[in-house]
Amino acid sequence: MNDAPRHANERSVFDDVLALLSPAQLLRDPRATGEGVSVCVLDSGVERALLEQKFRARGQEIHRIEGAIFSPQQSEPLRYEGRQSTPHGTTVADIVLTLAPRVRLYSADVFGPQGSCDVEVVIRALHWAVDVWKCKVVNLSLGVPEQRLQQAHRRQQLLRAIEHAYFQDVLIFAAAHNEHPLTRSYPAAFAPPLISVDKALFADPLDFAYELREQVEFQAHGKGYFGPFANEPATSWAAPHLAGIAARLLSLRPSLKPFEMKAILYWMFQAANSNHADTEKRANPK
Amino acid sequence: MSEAAGATETILIVDDEESVRQTFREWLERGAIGCRILTAADAEAALTVANHQTIDLAILDWNLGAGNDGLQLLEDLYLFNPNVVAIMVTGFAHQATPLDAMRMGVRDYLDKNQDLDRDSFLRAVNRQLERIRPAKRERRLHEGLVAFREAVEMVLPLVRSAAALNDPVPLPVAIGSLFRFLVRTTGARDGVLLVRHYDAARQPPESCRAYTADGKSLEVDLAPFAHSLAGTVASLQEPYATERLDQAASSGSVELQPFERGRTSLLAAPLAVAPGVQVVLELFDKQSPTEPAFTAADRALAAAAAEFGAEMLRQALGEQQTHRLLLDAIGAALRASDRVAETLRSAVAERRDEPPAAVMEKLREGLRSTTGPDLDADESLRLMEAVRELAGRHGPPAVRHCTRLVQGVRDLLDSVAGVSEKEEGRPRARGPSQPSDAGEASRE
Repeated sequence: MNDAPRHANERSVFDDVLALLSPAQLLRDPRATGEGVSVCVLDSGVERALLEQKFRARGQEIHRIEGAIFSPQQSEPLRYEGRQSTPHGTTVADIVLTLAPRVRLYSADVFGPQGSCDVEVVIRALHWAVDVWKCKVVNLSLGVPEQRLQQAHRRQQLLRAIEHAYFQDVLIFAAAHNEHPLTRSYPAAFAPPLISVDKALFADPLDFAYELREQVEFQAHGKGYFGPFANEPATSWAAPHLAGIAARLLSLRPSLKPFEMKAILYWMFQAANSNHADTEKRANPK
Repeated sequence: MSEAAGATETILIVDDEESVRQTFREWLERGAIGCRILTAADAEAALTVANHQTIDLAILDWNLGAGNDGLQLLEDLYLFNPNVVAIMVTGFAHQATPLDAMRMGVRDYLDKNQDLDRDSFLRAVNRQLERIRPAKRERRLHEGLVAFREAVEMVLPLVRSAAALNDPVPLPVAIGSLFRFLVRTTGARDGVLLVRHYDAARQPPESCRAYTADGKSLEVDLAPFAHSLAGTVASLQEPYATERLDQAASSGSVELQPFERGRTSLLAAPLAVAPGVQVVLELFDKQSPTEPAFTAADRALAAAAAEFGAEMLRQALGEQQTHRLLLDAIGAALRASDRVAETLRSAVAERRDEPPAAVMEKLREGLRSTTGPDLDADESLRLMEAVRELAGRHGPPAVRHCTRLVQGVRDLLDSVAGVSEKEEGRPRARGPSQPSDAGEASRE
C-alpha cells in the first residue's frame, strides 16, 4: 500500500474519469428526462389539468400527476382531486416538469384548505412520500421560518424525518429563506442530510452554483415559468430547478445516493467553472 | 328575641298572654330546633316584627283579644310573606273557618284545652319545619336562578352585539390605520385587505371578504382563494411585488379579483394569523415618477407591517375566541338553569302539600258539628282542598273568582228551586233539573 501523501495539485483517478465527461454531456443527454424517477412536490397542491394542457400544447406528454392532501386533523391523507390549494404548488411543479418532463410527479398538498403549513403535517407528508410513494426526490419550497420553529423537540422531529429520508437514499431539496443568510429557514437549515437551495439568476435554468454559506450549499435559477410571481426571484422557484436537474441525472443513474448527488453537483459546478476559467485563460493568456 | 347559631328559619309566637309566650319560647329553645324565635303580644307588634323580618312559621293565638283574631293577623302576615305557614292555637278548633284558614296557610291546630304540652307542641312545630325547610331551599334556589338569568340576560345582548363576534375574522381599527400608513408610505394608489376564513364545519367552509384602506367592505364576487394571487403570496409567506399584474392570470392557475383587474403593479404581503385564517394586504400602482415600481424597501416595510398586523389580528382573534367561550358558557348555564327550574317545578307539582291528617280530622269534626246532617263532611273537605290547591297555584284572585262562581251557582239554584232568603239554611229539594241548571251556571 502506498501511504505517501498526495499533493493538492495531483490529479486523482476520479479527475481522469470525470474529465471524460462534462456537465453539459450529463444534463443534455437525451435520456436525461427524468424518466423512471418519482418526484414529490410537497407544497400547496398542483392544478393537474393546467399542467397537462400546457405540456401537451408543447408536444410533451407528462405522466399523470398523483397525490394526496394532508391536514392537521387527519392522520390519513385525503384524496387528491387534481386541484391546487393555492397557485404556488402548480408553479413549483411546472418548474420540475419543465426541466424533467418525464418524472412521475406526486403532489403532497400540505397547505390544504386551512392554508397553513404545520411542521407535523410536513413530517407526515414526507414519510408518505418516502414510504408509500417511494419517491426518490422531494421538493420542499414551503419553509418554516426559524422564529416559528422555536421548540427544540419540533425541530428534532423534522430533522429525524429528514434523516429518515436520507437513509432511504431520498434526495430532499429545500428552499432557503429568501432573506438568507439573515434569516434561517427550516428544513433548509438541516443542510447535511438534504440539499438546501438559495436563489440566483442564471442565463440557463440548467445552470447552478455551489456556494457554501450559512448552511446553504447551492444556488439555482430563481425564476419560474408559469403562474403568479413566477417572474419574481424566489427560493421557492430555485429549489425545484435543482430538483429537476437531480431528476435528470437520476434518470441516467437511478441508484445515486444523496451524498453522491451532492458530490456530482459539486463537481459539475467546479467543472463548469474550471472550463469557463480555462476558456478565459485561453482567451487571455496573460 | 332569641337566635340560634346558624338559624335559618324564623318563628313568630303571637299571644296576648305573657305566660303562654314565655312557655312556648322555652319549649322551642330547649327543643333546639335551630330557629330564630320572635314573640309579639298583639297583631300590631307582630306586623312590626314582620316588617323587619321574614316570618316562616307563625304560632298564633286564635283569639288575640282587643277584637283581633289570629286569622286576620295571618292574612296580614301573608302580605309580607306569601309562603308563611301558621299553627293556630285555640280552644275552639271547631269554630275556625276551615276554608279561609287553610287558604291562608294554617297547617295545624293546637287545642289549649286538650293535648297541648311540650312534646305535642314541638312535634307540631318540627312537622311544619320539615315542610318549610326544603320548600324554602327550593325557593331560594329558584330566586337565585331567576337572579342569575336576569343578570345573564342583561349581559347577553351586549356580548352578542359585539361586532367582532359576528365577523369570522375581527379587524381591529388599528389594522385600518396600519394599512393606510402603508399605502401612504409606499406611495401606492390604493389598496385592499383580503381576509379569508376557512372552517370545515361551516357551509360553505370558505368565506372571503375584501376591505378598502378606509375599512369599507367591498361588495364584489371574489375569486376562490385557491386561484388567487393572495393564495400564492400566503404560500410564499413573504411580501411579493410584480409589475405585470395583467399577465399574472395568463397562466390560468390564477383568477384576478375584481379589484385587481386593470392594475399594473402590485405589492402583496401575507399576514400569518392562524390556521384557517389568511389575511393579505394588497397595494396597487405605485405613484412615483422616479420609482414606478415597488422597491425592496417597500417590500421590507410591508413585511414589517405584516408582522405587526398579524400580531394584532392574533390578539383580536384570541379576544373573539374568549368572547365566544363566554357566550357558549352563558348559553350552557342558561340551558342548565332551565333544566333546574323545570325540575323544581315538577318536584313542587308532584309534592302535594296536604295538611296533616290530624288537622283534616279536626276540620272534619268542626264541619260536622256546625252543619246539618245533609252535608257530607268528606265532600266538603275535598272541595276545600281543591280550593286550597287553587290558591297555592294561582293565588287569592283565583279563590275569589271561585267564591263568586259558587255564589253564582247558589243564586241560580235558589232561583230555579224557588228558595227564598228566608228559607236559607233549610234542606234544599233535589229536583231532576238541578244538574243541567248547575251545568248552565258553570258555563256562565
